[in-house]
Amino acid sequence: MVEVRNLTKRYGANLAVDQVSFTIEEGSIVGFLGPNGAGKSTTMNIITGYLSASEGSVTVSGKNTLDEPNEVKKLIGYLPEQPPLYLDMTVKEYLDFVYDLKKAGQPKKQHIEEICQLVKIDNVYGRLIGNLSKGYKQRVGIAQALIGNPPVLILDEPTVGLDPKQIIEIRTLIKNLGRNHTVILSSHILPEVQAVCERIIVINNGRLVADGATDTLAHDLSQDHRLILRAEGPEREMLHAMEALEKVKEVHSLGEKEPGAYEFSVETQPDQDVRRDLFALMVRNGWPMLALKNTDLTLEDLFLQLTSSDAAAAGKGE
Amino acid sequence: MNAIFKRELRSYFSSPIGYVCIAILAALYGFFYFMVMAYGSSSYIPSVVYNTMFSFSMLVIPIITMRSMTDDQKNKTDQILLTAPVGVTAIVLGKFLACFVVFFGASTFGLLPAVAMSAFSSPSWGEVLGNYIGTLLYGGAMISIGVFISSLTVSQIIAAIGTFAVSVLLMFIDNLASSINNAAAAAVVDWISFSNRYNVFTRGLFSVPSLVFFLSVMAVFIFLTARRLESRRWS
Repeated sequence: MVEVRNLTKRYGANLAVDQVSFTIEEGSIVGFLGPNGAGKSTTMNIITGYLSASEGSVTVSGKNTLDEPNEVKKLIGYLPEQPPLYLDMTVKEYLDFVYDLKKAGQPKKQHIEEICQLVKIDNVYGRLIGNLSKGYKQRVGIAQALIGNPPVLILDEPTVGLDPKQIIEIRTLIKNLGRNHTVILSSHILPEVQAVCERIIVINNGRLVADGATDTLAHDLSQDHRLILRAEGPEREMLHAMEALEKVKEVHSLGEKEPGAYEFSVETQPDQDVRRDLFALMVRNGWPMLALKNTDLTLEDLFLQLTSSDAAAAGKGE
Repeated sequence: MNAIFKRELRSYFSSPIGYVCIAILAALYGFFYFMVMAYGSSSYIPSVVYNTMFSFSMLVIPIITMRSMTDDQKNKTDQILLTAPVGVTAIVLGKFLACFVVFFGASTFGLLPAVAMSAFSSPSWGEVLGNYIGTLLYGGAMISIGVFISSLTVSQIIAAIGTFAVSVLLMFIDNLASSINNAAAAAVVDWISFSNRYNVFTRGLFSVPSLVFFLSVMAVFIFLTARRLESRRWS
């Protein structure tokens, strides 16, 4: 649906986006993650046609942004970092204006009403945008992006300035939109990305440093694969039994955590899943297994690791 | 373009600026027509009304155009315009037309006293309409320049002062031409002179070359503003 190839953007000598490439399939929700100034907004601005790339190309639904800019713009609904609102207009006037501007084909009144109900701004419909609270302004911004029902939605930090209840509402809304839209959203709030997105693209210093499914990204990028096991039984015997397993590299005891129960750190060979073998071993010996968890990086660890300068240098080598 | 034009025009009247510009010009037109009445002959209309009103129009135009492109840059609303399926020329044209309609409205109010006067006198309509059309053409050209200047800056004040400076320069460019010794340079300055083109109309004549000249100026500056808008994507 959206294909970005070798995207580069220079501001004078400053490289804002450096050779970023990715493809987003139809109907997926993708999170753009990165610290401030990483190039998230710049990338989004280029996809939407607000900025031009210094190098590289963007294709939406097979249409190149340079060859058919207006065709591509019709396919994209965009909520910039700062919602582009005219403060001297009422919500109704503004949405009417956006409708006319985008030359949307849907029946006007009904279409706008539906969107207002969807983002819950029907109660401020007749008010001046300048008098609305930040949360409502943000929602008007989202409503604006939805007009014309574009297949691709690009949302730059959509939940900024909202209260926790609104954040949950907007996240649910985005998830629902993801069923029949392709959504790209940027955020530096990690749990948000984790909650909403199926896939995460991490950008740091203008470079793409990680790209993968939300669930497996952390696991795939973890350097060491270690399991923490807690079982009830004799410490030494358990340790030796586990070390004897084929797929296990090293086992350390972490000491007695509960009366009679010990915790072990089990390091496995790369790309080996040892959980079933451990379970069978424990059952065979009649040692009740109390807990087993992996120590894959959390998204937070991952984010910090990827966006620290060392990791950025490592990412360059890929 | 239509959507942008309507939005811009509405914005002039959702703030006092549109009313103030029209009211000032309408009041001044009224005042100078009153002076004509005091002199007792409608033959004074071109010299008393339009001669002075020309300067006032040039004062009001920078105020009309100063916010046309600056506001969008400052409030980031240019993001919705530039990411909508509309070309940059359509954006600029919509804004230009909105400014022009405000000026058109103000200038048209200036015809009302002449209409009232025609009930008990017979003003020379050729001269009145010639001045009116000349004002609209000169004004339209100045508006296109004003819109262009406002696209160069995010500050309304700088845009207004810049436009005002250009209109003052254009007013005195004739004096400059007469003091240049080089015949070729003088001819160029003379050709650029907006006033020479405008003066034809004030005599109640309709000049196609002047019409084409003013329309070309508008086209050039609308084009330049569109390029300027486009160039921001590359900076």
